[in-house]
Amino acid sequence: MGEKPENRLERIVSDLMHGRRLKLRAKDAEEKEAIIMAARLAAARSGPQRMSPAFRQKLAGQIDAMPRERWVTRRTALVAGLGIAAGTVGGLLAGRDLEGPQAVAAKEIVPDGGKWIEVGALEDFPVGSARQVRAGAIGAFVTRTDQGVIAVSSICSDLPCELWWDRSHSLLVCPCHNKTFSAQGASQEAYPLPPLDTVRVRTTTDGKVEVFGI
Amino acid sequence: MRGGSQPPEELPAQQQQQGEVVEFPSPARATDIALDELEMVYAFIYARVGNRADAEDLTQQVAMKAIPRLREGAPPSAIRGYLFATARSVLGAFWSVRLGLSESELREDLAMIPPAPAASDESAERARQILSRLSDNYRRVLELRFLHGYSLKEVAFEMKSTVGAVKVMQLRALRAAAKVQIDG
Repeated sequence: MGEKPENRLERIVSDLMHGRRLKLRAKDAEEKEAIIMAARLAAARSGPQRMSPAFRQKLAGQIDAMPRERWVTRRTALVAGLGIAAGTVGGLLAGRDLEGPQAVAAKEIVPDGGKWIEVGALEDFPVGSARQVRAGAIGAFVTRTDQGVIAVSSICSDLPCELWWDRSHSLLVCPCHNKTFSAQGASQEAYPLPPLDTVRVRTTTDGKVEVFGI
Repeated sequence: MRGGSQPPEELPAQQQQQGEVVEFPSPARATDIALDELEMVYAFIYARVGNRADAEDLTQQVAMKAIPRLREGAPPSAIRGYLFATARSVLGAFWSVRLGLSESELREDLAMIPPAPAASDESAERARQILSRLSDNYRRVLELRFLHGYSLKEVAFEMKSTVGAVKVMQLRALRAAAKVQIDG
């Protein structure tokens, strides 16, 4: 017979309260929200934490061993360490700052032999909220704005994963690496990803929304 | 010896304007800067896993993943942003592996994690807000167990109940607490 959920959770709580590692089993997934909450409450008891001197020293050794030229160089460290606002160094930093793909123009998806496909009535699209639609082989998020409707691809620009709409933050989220995009497709990351591809969309005179799909 | 944050050093104005030519004091100082950023990452992770061993492992993972990818010229805000984005992804993987879930199943939890560290005791304040929205019994059992560190037996005694009943109440209280939405 399986362990009762209250006993399972108590085992986890007891470990947390004794400062032990979280030892979780697949079965514990049924109580994932309660477990995550228990971890947060356990952390609240101990207050804000700093690394132990021993761990800090160990980490320092590992950082020192990293290839020096690839990371915090003297200019970065100068700015970070001496408290000078990045802006004061101005142009020196502009345009050569971040790892990963740099800003590029969004591509428009225009399928060969495509056609306009109805995806709903305009009133089905609340202003400011992205709604996922499918126009044949083209998946898109359509957002109604004060100016009209816009549509972006429902596939992340970095990894081939289907995005989802996080209503609480009004952002499109890639579940594969948790990167976020605005409803207009702009990357919200400190290290920006390419923007999402755009998809053709229009409203008809009789109040329908159509996406150019295939 | 490596300590915590060091006081900012003054640079001659001419050197500030010519950032390119200023020599960085020492490689050890650069490591200290990275460690100071990682202190915040550690606090952020600890507030979510609630124990030192896991927080250390995850902070180490963040350092190993993120630091080699930082490039020359990255402003400090971007370094911090990248470290926290990495921390978020490492935390997502931690929960998904431990609970046998896909990261997409945890996406709501990940999305709830704020992108920046709080200066003050964010976790205690958040806990206080969550507990204040629970029924009296649920709040009491969680306060005694988590904030006062009582054992089950002590909670049962305090609440004039049995250990078995407190265990069930603890589970229900945690489920209810997980449903509380806190703004920000």
